[in-house]
Amino acid sequence: MERKVAIVSHVQTKHSSDIGMPRERMLFNLVKELHNKVGITRHDVDSYVLCSNDFEAGRTISTVFEDTPVGAYMKDETKVEMDGIMALIYATMRILSGQFDTALVVANSLGGSQFRPFLIMEYQLDPTFDRQVGLINELNAGAFQARSYMDKYGLDEWFLDAISARLLRNGAINPYALRSKDDATPEYVASSEYYYEPLRKLHCYPFSDGACAVLLACGEKAKELCEKPVWIKGFSNSLETCRLGERELYTSPSTKQAAEKAYKAAGISDPANEIDVAEISAKFAHQEPIICESLGLFPEGSAEDVAKNDLAEITGKMPISPSGGGICTYVFSAAGLINVAQCCQQLTGEAGDAQVPNAKIALAHGQDGFCAQHNSVVILSSEEG
Amino acid sequence: MAFQMGEETRTFPITWDVSANKYKIESRGLRILTEGMKDKKIRGIRCHECDTVYIPGPFYCRKCHIEIDEVVEVKDTGTVMSFAVDMADIRGNPLPEKRISAMIKLDDCDAWFIGTVENMDWKDAKVGMRVKSIWVDEPQGKFSDIDHFEPI
Ligand SMILES: [Zn+2]
Repeated sequence: MERKVAIVSHVQTKHSSDIGMPRERMLFNLVKELHNKVGITRHDVDSYVLCSNDFEAGRTISTVFEDTPVGAYMKDETKVEMDGIMALIYATMRILSGQFDTALVVANSLGGSQFRPFLIMEYQLDPTFDRQVGLINELNAGAFQARSYMDKYGLDEWFLDAISARLLRNGAINPYALRSKDDATPEYVASSEYYYEPLRKLHCYPFSDGACAVLLACGEKAKELCEKPVWIKGFSNSLETCRLGERELYTSPSTKQAAEKAYKAAGISDPANEIDVAEISAKFAHQEPIICESLGLFPEGSAEDVAKNDLAEITGKMPISPSGGGICTYVFSAAGLINVAQCCQQLTGEAGDAQVPNAKIALAHGQDGFCAQHNSVVILSSEEG
Repeated sequence: MAFQMGEETRTFPITWDVSANKYKIESRGLRILTEGMKDKKIRGIRCHECDTVYIPGPFYCRKCHIEIDEVVEVKDTGTVMSFAVDMADIRGNPLPEKRISAMIKLDDCDAWFIGTVENMDWKDAKVGMRVKSIWVDEPQGKFSDIDHFEPI
């Protein structure tokens, strides 16, 4: 990478089950807030990469009504349909190409109030087989995945309760989180109803309205625009087959592969010791250990040990999702980008009560598809290096 | 940020009718599977490069990225690889009774089949348990010809 790319600024909504306004208003307000924060207008942005979902928006090329609210009138604009972290990767590449000096990435969903994400997921299934069989939805597929991990490592449900409890407590110190409980315990989580056993309500993501915008710039421009740029040191993504029945669900080989490439680019050889904080897109409690283990942050099958020894707490050896992660908020299309924004807060020392002391290197993860079929990894640093 | 309920926010119920979608597939693997089911046989396609057996058989191996066409019969018995205890159907409507939905690795096959496991208490379900297909009396060449699975 000759050219360097950094994050200048980021904003996100107070996520909600019903944000109470149309998408256009939500995005307009959000981008205006970012403009004011940085001290720019839309004329200072060269390129736009947007991310939202056609099904959820109820119209094809969902971003056509989002372009002008974010200021992209008569600008270079493109769209990503997967997770917002892919939009960030795409925007990074556009700047690396030398064609653009700045790029605004915006991802959003009204999955809380407009259209249920479970339905979107149902329509991701192969219409000729999986959908015809009529037995799979995102929740029981999640339950298959949880059971697969539990069986592989001989664990009972306690670790699921412990993970959700930790995340709900973290959510209580994240002003943007939708769901939280400052005194959540594993027993509290275990008292929530079963959806598809072994998954209970509080092991699953809440339907969320929300949006996130991240402004990227090439190195020189980023230093002009802000005092503390957050540097993008490495990124990658990888995917597995679309058929659940052809995958080992207790592990995430695509996460592993994406991580290896991102680590190589970032010069990381010992991720568990070099990474100070990670924000993980886990839509269900069990996905957090599966993804973290494939990232090399914890040993395989260690979910129970990690929880018992508080290793993933904000004060722990390897803090995972100080934001509260997917159990507190999962904005479809925006979740991975929100993770990037949360990592930036950590690296610029603006994470408030959730601050991991001296965080210098952060990992943001994003996913898409049934049981995290597609995984993306971005390595961020407070140091240009 | 001033994120308050906008006075001028209105909600319009809209529908999105995609029933006219003419979805095209290369149907050989599905045809081989469903035709076999009329005779209570389950057939997939094997990759001649890596030996992976798929059901329904695709026209290419997803891993080797080559065309494949070797038809193989797989058994209608198998092993439960994972399962969920469903309290609701796929649209979230409560079920009258709890139901075990399972991913089943049929013998001689690498792809897992999804089905329900009946005739057992859900509390006794285990990963690794052996199951057999229970066919309908008069198979029609449909996925529903396997009515459910039962423990062996
Ligand atoms: Zn092959």
